[in-house]
Amino acid sequence: MTIDATMVGRSYAAAESYQVGREKIREFADAIGDSNPAYRGDDAVAPPTFAFVVGSRALEQLLHDEELGLRLDRIVHGAQKFSYTRPIKAGDEIAATATITTVRKAGPVEVIMYETTLTTADGEAIATATSTLSHNRADA
Amino acid sequence: MIEVGTELPPLTVTLRREDLVRYAGASGDFNPIHWSDRMAAALELPGVIAHGMLTMASAVRVVTDWIDDPADLVEYGVRFTKPVVVPDDDKGASVTFSAKVDKVTEDDRGGLAEIDITAVAGEEKVLGRARAVVRVR
Repeated sequence: MTIDATMVGRSYAAAESYQVGREKIREFADAIGDSNPAYRGDDAVAPPTFAFVVGSRALEQLLHDEELGLRLDRIVHGAQKFSYTRPIKAGDEIAATATITTVRKAGPVEVIMYETTLTTADGEAIATATSTLSHNRADA
Repeated sequence: MIEVGTELPPLTVTLRREDLVRYAGASGDFNPIHWSDRMAAALELPGVIAHGMLTMASAVRVVTDWIDDPADLVEYGVRFTKPVVVPDDDKGASVTFSAKVDKVTEDDRGGLAEIDITAVAGEEKVLGRARAVVRVR
């Protein structure tokens, strides 16, 4: 199994929306050692990189696409970028969709770029995440 | 008034194994290279390494500590150039983040500051092209 350019455009929607809870935001802020008061309380917003956690439900779908044949332990995260329309807030219910945008190959290494859009149930844009993964298929 | 060349207060973060375990739990990223020496060695890594997303989260604190409201962050991107190796001891690994305003621009909603962030562990830069864009009021 291998990955090629025909897989560009494949889209993976998280099976369920992500319900953002204020205690989850606090837990995440604690885990990154960030005591910013904006990340606490009823009106908490999430730290910027929390967008990756919300998007990871869609990434899981991509990782489980048997036709891609990816293995988590062979993946290195090469780059990550977020563009925010607004911060994620406690109480948000967020849908995530990941779409493969670029596939490049160098020997056994496959470089996959995908874009994850985060929107509310009503379609309000929250953020777009662009990720670059390197997958090494050597000995696979 | 934010000016090009303004340096933001730097931040040093120490990452220990317990921090990686806590981040794994909070983020749901349980890739064993972030907690198992055996798995890290099997993949020929120099040791257990910090989650890139944890390093990225720590780096942007330099910016979100500096602005009044983290909601003013409009863009943030990094490249993961070197892994942060976290030994299984009490000392852990220290990463120092610094940042500087590189550009002040405008869009149709107002002023924007583009900030370059540098992340250094030991002698090595662990992030490349780390850049945040914030709305300036």
